[in-house]
Amino acid sequence: MIRVENIKKYFPIKDGFFNNKSGDVKAVENVSFEIPEGEILGLVGESGSGKSTLGRAIIRLIEPTQGNIFYKNKNITKLSDSEMRKLRKDFQIIFQDPYASLDPRKKIYDIISQGLKVHEKMDKNSINQKVEEIIQDVGLQKEHLNRYPHEFSGGQRQRIGIARALVLNPKFIIADEPVSALDVTIQAQILNLILELKKKYSLTILFISHDLSVINQIADRVMVMYLGHIVEVANTSNLFSNPQHPYTRSLIETAPQIFRKNKKKTLLKGDIPSPINPPSGCVFRTRCPNPGIDCKGGNIEMGLIEVEPGHWVDQCCANCN
Amino acid sequence: MISENLLSIKNLKTHFTVGESVVKAVDGVSFNLEAGKTFAIVGESGSGKSITALSIMGLLPNNLAQTERGEILFDNKNLIDLEENEMRKIRGNRISMIFQEPMTSLNPVYDLSFQISETIILHQKKSKEQARKIAIEMLDLVGIPEPQKRIDSYPHELSGGMRQRAMIAMALSCNPKILIADEPTTALDVTIQAQIIDLMQELQKKLGMSIIFITHDLGVVSEISDHVMVMYLGNVMEIAETSELFNNPLHSYTKSLIDIAPQISDEKREIKVLRGEIPSPTNPPSGCVFRTRCPNPGIGCKGGDIEMGLIEAKPGHWVDRCCYECNQT
Ligand SMILES: Nc1ncnc2c1ncn2[C@@H]1O[C@H](COP(=O)(O)OP(=O)(O)OP(=O)(O)O)[C@@H](O)[C@H]1O
Ligand SMILES: Nc1ncnc2c1ncn2[C@@H]1O[C@H](COP(=O)(O)OP(=O)(O)O)[C@@H](O)[C@H]1O
Ligand code: SF4
Ligand code: SF4
Ligand SMILES: [Mg+2]
Ligand SMILES: [Mg+2]
Repeated sequence: MIRVENIKKYFPIKDGFFNNKSGDVKAVENVSFEIPEGEILGLVGESGSGKSTLGRAIIRLIEPTQGNIFYKNKNITKLSDSEMRKLRKDFQIIFQDPYASLDPRKKIYDIISQGLKVHEKMDKNSINQKVEEIIQDVGLQKEHLNRYPHEFSGGQRQRIGIARALVLNPKFIIADEPVSALDVTIQAQILNLILELKKKYSLTILFISHDLSVINQIADRVMVMYLGHIVEVANTSNLFSNPQHPYTRSLIETAPQIFRKNKKKTLLKGDIPSPINPPSGCVFRTRCPNPGIDCKGGNIEMGLIEVEPGHWVDQCCANCN
Repeated sequence: MISENLLSIKNLKTHFTVGESVVKAVDGVSFNLEAGKTFAIVGESGSGKSITALSIMGLLPNNLAQTERGEILFDNKNLIDLEENEMRKIRGNRISMIFQEPMTSLNPVYDLSFQISETIILHQKKSKEQARKIAIEMLDLVGIPEPQKRIDSYPHELSGGMRQRAMIAMALSCNPKILIADEPTTALDVTIQAQIIDLMQELQKKLGMSIIFITHDLGVVSEISDHVMVMYLGNVMEIAETSELFNNPLHSYTKSLIDIAPQISDEKREIKVLRGEIPSPTNPPSGCVFRTRCPNPGIGCKGGDIEMGLIEAKPGHWVDRCCYECNQT
């Protein structure tokens, strides 16, 4: 469905006064992956690791600095705006903040139907029908269409955000932390709804979260991202039963859980470094609990290698271990 | 084991007036906090956790409704009856509070030196220089690197985790008996959350204060607390020792929360769901407040014969009596 090759996204930093470029925020570095049709691919990492930037770059909401994006085997990296516009409705995003992402002045009906009016030549009746169908699909009622966003709870707003994304029958959804702002009970409801709708609408999903326990519940396969790099990829059960990268291990060990099997908890030192000036060699080395002598780089560059079928890990680390 | 109750809350009620209606944000909460222990308050958004905390601190908004308020006993005083000038001697000194968003309690226009020293000067008779010295020691204690340099930083110059550390330093600078932490790690990444939890446990060992830890995450509860109180819609559903609560939950709400809590596993599990949303506190359900969402309510749950209130089902394990009696029959 989607294949990306060596995607990079740098944000130039301008010197305030002369507007000279003084460096780059290296948000995404050489990332390649595929999402087969019907898969939920999880993308996990701390805030600032580049998850949202990667998500936006692969559907060209922001232009990648480098790399190629293929959608159904067609290279869409260089498509013109008008060609891209035709594809737009196939790609939709569900956002984290159900408060900020809905226009407070618009009624729910207008929020949901907006896309239909832009992308489809539909008569009023068909639009009504579609909107009424979708509002029920997300677990709300027709009566809700006449209300404004502030009349809804966080969970209900997230349902509205999902309805807005699905009304155009998209093929590929980027769900960017869709449950991070919600209570656990509402979180479970929304995750379940996403799974149901994925089946009903045959969706392919990139599911972004900083919470491994959420990813564990919903994803078929997981990519772990740190400071712009993918450091490990595996199907969900392999990643959790046999994590290879120290960053992945620490994320699993520190995820709070009621009944913890493994009492070991390796704390990471300090904070994630600035992506303007990332560490040489392995980008994780400044926080790694157990760095090797080669990790400073020189002999080796970051990049994934396959350690068991379908299980990839950063090669610096595969060699260190 | 004899344990000393440092703080004892009895039938606390905090109601607000909003237009014509009354919001029963906290509606009859009772619990004891033991010396040197961590007591977690857990519940969904809107269950009354923060208002319970703010009631203890005497930091309530001014739309408080007239009602019997209950008791907050600390140091042989009922804090509810204290005048503001009396309360000011306790707040930040004997009982301190930290918040989810450090920027709400750190002032962006002052550096850390000024802000931490301010509390120390207010409560302890120290000079400016002495206070600054203590402030530096506090930053060191909470694991901020190069505290002599960092002391002159402004809050926005720090990362989220470092700000939370600075706030803890400020809260602990007068060596309080009780630290109330209202979701101090909710806005942080898990890796940083783990650091902060570790830090709080270490500081508790060193300084011996009691902690009231508010969270909506049962996973965090199991990591940090000795005892837990489960709240819903202003009411207490259950109180027990942490491992007792997780292994032998008595209340249907607690059972549901444990059931749906994400648990990392190697196999794919179905996602369990608790339907509905927390009702409005202006118009709570009659009888058991949880009954509109309860997976299997009994016939008696609508109330009439029974009112909410805790009973001690086993030593130290308290549960709302509606639910206890439902489950007995
Ligand atoms: N000043 C006020 N006037 C009216 N209602 C209020 C006021 N302050 C809080 N409430 C209401 O009291 C209830 C309990 O609020 P509280 O902030 O204690 O919840 P909480 O458990 O801390 O939730 P969260 O997890 O979202 O922080 C909520 O319904 C809230 O809307
Ligand atoms: N428009 C932008 N200009 C400059 N830097 C940006 C921009 N968007 C994101 N960044 C930076 O790129 C990095 C990755 O950000 P983001 O993709 O939002 O991370 P995540 O979603 O994993 O939290 C961060 O350091 C962020 O500050
Ligand atoms: S490559 Fe070295 S520094 Fe990086 S994660 Fe592996 S062991 Fe740690
Ligand atoms: S009292 Fe009844 S309605 Fe309430 S939680 Fe227990 S069983 Fe459910
Ligand atoms: Mg993001
Ligand atoms: Mg709160």
